[in-house]
Amino acid sequence: MRRCFRWLGALLLALCAGGIGMAAHAEQPGGEIAWALHSEPRTFDPARVDDQSSETVRYLTGGVLLRVNRVTQQTEAALAERWTVSADGRTVLLQLREGLRFSDGSALTAADVVASLRRTLDPATGAPVREEFVQPAAVVVTAAGQRGVRIQLPQRLVALGKILDEIAIEPAAHFGDSRVTAGPFRVESVKAGECVLLRRNPFYWKKDGAGRSLPYLETVRMDIVSNRERERLAFARGQYEFIDNVPAEDYDDLAKSTPGARDLGPSLNTEQMWFNQASWAPLPAFEKAWFANVAFRQAVSMAIHRGDLARIAYRGHATPAYSFVSPANGAWYNRDLRVRHEDPRTALTLLEGAGFRMAGRQLVDAAGNPVRFSILTNAGNRAREKMAALIQQDLAALGMQVSVVRLDFPALVDRLMHTAAYEAALLGLSNVDSDPNGMMNVWMSGSPNHQWNPSEKTPATEWEAEVDRLMQAQAALADPRERKQRTDRVQQIVADQQPFIYLVYPNLLYAVSPVLEGVRFPRCSRAWFRRSIRCGAGRVGDDGDWTAAAGAVGGGLWTRDIFA
Amino acid sequence: MKRRLGIAVLGTLGFVAVLVLLRSHGDATVQDREAILAGASARHWAGTDDLGRDRAVRVAAALLGCCGAVCASAMTTAVAVAMGVGAAFAPGAVRGLVLYASDLFLALPWLFLLMLVRSVLPLALPAHWSAVLTFGLLAALGWPVYVRSLAARAEGLRDADWLLQARAGGLRTRQVLCTHLLPQLQPLYRTQFLLCMPAFLIAEANLGALGLGVSEPLVSWGTLLQELGSSAELAATRWVYLPVALLVIVLLSMEMLVPED
Repeated sequence: MRRCFRWLGALLLALCAGGIGMAAHAEQPGGEIAWALHSEPRTFDPARVDDQSSETVRYLTGGVLLRVNRVTQQTEAALAERWTVSADGRTVLLQLREGLRFSDGSALTAADVVASLRRTLDPATGAPVREEFVQPAAVVVTAAGQRGVRIQLPQRLVALGKILDEIAIEPAAHFGDSRVTAGPFRVESVKAGECVLLRRNPFYWKKDGAGRSLPYLETVRMDIVSNRERERLAFARGQYEFIDNVPAEDYDDLAKSTPGARDLGPSLNTEQMWFNQASWAPLPAFEKAWFANVAFRQAVSMAIHRGDLARIAYRGHATPAYSFVSPANGAWYNRDLRVRHEDPRTALTLLEGAGFRMAGRQLVDAAGNPVRFSILTNAGNRAREKMAALIQQDLAALGMQVSVVRLDFPALVDRLMHTAAYEAALLGLSNVDSDPNGMMNVWMSGSPNHQWNPSEKTPATEWEAEVDRLMQAQAALADPRERKQRTDRVQQIVADQQPFIYLVYPNLLYAVSPVLEGVRFPRCSRAWFRRSIRCGAGRVGDDGDWTAAAGAVGGGLWTRDIFA
Repeated sequence: MKRRLGIAVLGTLGFVAVLVLLRSHGDATVQDREAILAGASARHWAGTDDLGRDRAVRVAAALLGCCGAVCASAMTTAVAVAMGVGAAFAPGAVRGLVLYASDLFLALPWLFLLMLVRSVLPLALPAHWSAVLTFGLLAALGWPVYVRSLAARAEGLRDADWLLQARAGGLRTRQVLCTHLLPQLQPLYRTQFLLCMPAFLIAEANLGALGLGVSEPLVSWGTLLQELGSSAELAATRWVYLPVALLVIVLLSMEMLVPED
């Protein structure tokens, strides 16, 4: 599964592609489109993107070798005009277009591509996409002339096109700030805490059907607005052209006043909580023992009333979740998944079997330590705050004392990623790509984004080792049925072990301003494409890059540890 | 008359709050999940919030939570009196140091200090400790405002003939303080005590609204006012304005307690 922001990026590109949908500027070049980012981009280095806002900037500025069409999900030529894969799938040869240039006018050559790919593969860079190469240290990238690039892989990667879609090609002499790009826009200015302004790349390679340079739009303004009420008011005043990921509590009111508001049903995104199982976490040993105990995790899962979470925290705009694959993702969802549904009584029995007991109204462990922990979530996300409060009461029925801690995002990320100073967390994972390859970075035990126990040198448990094997195997298999079998098994292991306790699949909710014309909702498939947006159909023509595939961005953890 | 009215309003609110809490067995956290954002009913006199919690019970709990502001006000007044009187009777260098310290405290960015303190504390800090911490910090940061006026008044008394005569007559320091000085200072520090209460109440409400004050499941004005941040909830029921209306009444009543002179 792939990062969700992509739909946003694709939608934006579609909108930017030419005032395409702007009623007032229908076919006129120039103009500006504006919307709100809910947090400040943490980096403008496209290789180090690990948050949703940064990913949005990367999508709009980064030139990539291959692009995944958000509507068809097919890999299409971008900077590379063609590519060939050897019979064993281990050698990929890409041929660059002729006359490519960066936004500063300098030539884009194979040397730049090789440097960008090598930088991504270098562990010192810390590029999250590196994990998707499965064995990144064994990948060899070389130039084959001025326009040829050869990638030699240790094993077949069925999702290589999607991986390359995430690697922005930068000038070998100018890495890391998105000011010189090969994508449709470049970063013009950044005002900390205020806005990010992108300006059109005059040397972007793509042309429309009439031979005019794309993009049409001159600038893209993204205001940093964490306050959703403020965003909504600005949208109502016409300052923004759309709202990405409308909060569920606001949706019903917004839908009454905005014809462009849409609830597209369950998304591929998940909301989940997990316990910190990192061996190096600064937690008491008895707490680590609780969190490592599968019965404890299962009991917590069984005590949570997911239906109430969907109904109360999301006002009905969500579906109870038990797996990392949403039922909306029909191709990969395990229909035979055996899950433990809500049952507080059985949960207590499980806990008693694991040595816990009730002392009055308080659950204590075998050594008499009261079961008391905190759940961390990000401040300002009302749905998550409500879910945490509901879970607090659900777990009180088991005698667990839970405190809810809301932190702003930088402080939260610091605890999750660097200090591991937390007990449990409640966040979301945003998925765009229906393919399980996009979640490699979460499920591989050695990944820094393996949230409950990051960067394991060797798998801490047998089931994690099995997940590693299964995920690696499915990434290399060409037969979809065999891949599905292995992914099903991973889903079952996760449902049994509960490293993530899945809570709900939020619905896709968004609002588009009436000034945008031609926004429509293709129904070409039941799952992912069903909830895509296509803008300005008449003017995007066959240019898939400008056709938007949309899925609401559910602010949360990205599948590759991209926080929102 | 004004003071009596203030006392009567506060007393009545307190009495009703106790009754409401007794009726609900004092639990303001119970979620009635079948009555989300419900209007007033026999079961929920003032409706429920977005988690189905009884709004009347929560407001009653917040009303009794005003005791935190009263305690904090008492603490800060006591510290201010001690510092002011100490500065007045201490040698010049110590006096300067105390007044310098009070100025330093006034200049502190207390909001950031609170955030810093909260970030270094354990995440699983029990809710009642968050209340103690919040009001304790407010008390610790509130005293400097009044030190200078108290010190000036105490200095005036220190040099008064009658006090010099009393000391010359052999009264011990404790007797001078308790029998003469503190009663003389009483109008000043009593007024300051009464002024501090609403100030601390507002400060806690602001901190709570920012998520830095008393934490859930304890109820405070700050947590109640967070409801006002959502226009969807504002549109759902008018009862959502009850906390802010009562907070205004409480603040006005507290102001009435302050003597006009």
